[in-house]
Amino acid sequence: MVEPLSLQNLAWALTTVLEVLLLFCLLRRKLHRSHPAFFAYILSTIFQSMAAAIAYRHWGFQSIQSWNVFWVSQGVVVCARWLAITEIARTILANYSGIWKLASRFLFAVGIGVLVYSVLAIQNSWQSAVLNADRAVELSIAAFLVVLLLSARYYRVPIATLERYLVIGFCLYSCFWVIDDSILAHWRAPLAGLWGFLDVVTFFATLILWIRAVQESTEAAPVTAPAPVSPETHAKLSLEVNTRLHLLNKQLDHLLRAKDSRS
Amino acid sequence: MSLPLLLFIAFAVILILLLAWAVRPPKKMLLSVDDVFTALSEERHYARLPQILQSLREEDTEFLRVGGHQELAGRLRAERKRIALRYLNYLEDEYQLLLEASRILARIAPEITPLHEFERLKRNVRFVLCCRYLRWRLRLGLQPWNVFGTISDMEGDLTLRLETATASLGERATMASEFPLFLEKGRSDDTK
Repeated sequence: MVEPLSLQNLAWALTTVLEVLLLFCLLRRKLHRSHPAFFAYILSTIFQSMAAAIAYRHWGFQSIQSWNVFWVSQGVVVCARWLAITEIARTILANYSGIWKLASRFLFAVGIGVLVYSVLAIQNSWQSAVLNADRAVELSIAAFLVVLLLSARYYRVPIATLERYLVIGFCLYSCFWVIDDSILAHWRAPLAGLWGFLDVVTFFATLILWIRAVQESTEAAPVTAPAPVSPETHAKLSLEVNTRLHLLNKQLDHLLRAKDSRS
Repeated sequence: MSLPLLLFIAFAVILILLLAWAVRPPKKMLLSVDDVFTALSEERHYARLPQILQSLREEDTEFLRVGGHQELAGRLRAERKRIALRYLNYLEDEYQLLLEASRILARIAPEITPLHEFERLKRNVRFVLCCRYLRWRLRLGLQPWNVFGTISDMEGDLTLRLETATASLGERATMASEFPLFLEKGRSDDTK
């Protein structure tokens, strides 16, 4: 029977290969120019794999030094990931300045709100503080991305295939990380090996999704920004539309009240 | 497993479900700015409200029942229920059109008022829920036929206010001059 650690090593090695492959795909498609933060994020994951491999070889899998190296590099990777998703959000909404201004404030409020809640919700020992913080960050990333997609859907903002897959990959990875972290926090040691394995497998699947998206991405025609209206005109029109929506709502109310008075 | 941990897992699962919902391709075809503003300048369905309300009044079919034409009265009511449902559909379509217009406005706006957007979202949720509720009531035959006595008079006022709002919207758009087609349409309407 194959040991979980061996399986994890194998999955880890394969993941690193995929990371390098994705990096080459990005370079070949010249996407490192349009998505520099995402490119930097993939680069950071490769460096993390290298740093962790060297640390495990020198100090062993269970040593405190390896633990430090892994979590410090994880901090760098998470920062790079935040930059990458901010870049994606800006790419999706950049042509819609009004929506971007509103959504950016809302998205960061959601991200920070979830982060603060997640940190405060679990008041365990300092031992698990790193794990809690890690879960909080992942949850806030997932919430940020879901709100981004919901906003884009609400305003009918078109999303390019590449950005769509990048968001799906990031979000699924963060959600599964949260689930993995929560399971690990409960069972701790007995499932630590499995946790590591699940994490690598989740990232492996994410990388396959991204590689496919990058390979299928074509030179997208630049989205033409709609001609803007003046803020005053928008405010007036928006108010009028709201008034009409309000009146339609009232009309429905009259119908409802009429119905209710019978019953 | 502690409650916060369970909540984290539940939150993550909810986010995955929301993600699956959000990445679905949109059902409706995207409208252009011109399409929406042309449609906005067309005749509105709410102008039919007094007639619809009148048709739902019990007095309108009571004379048939009194005259012994139960079957005919039943058929008439069923027909009117169908019309009321269609009216509700039109009302919803109109609402969606207005929302589409507001989205287009948001897309071309350099700045969005969060309060307006929030108010719109709140109304949208309320409208959709009420509409579904009303539709199901009508389908289940829970509709009344006798309680609209004075309501139709109220609707007259409401319709007038809606017309005023529409005219005002047209004026604003004409003033704005960013919507040439709508502007043209507005002018042709004025000359009629």
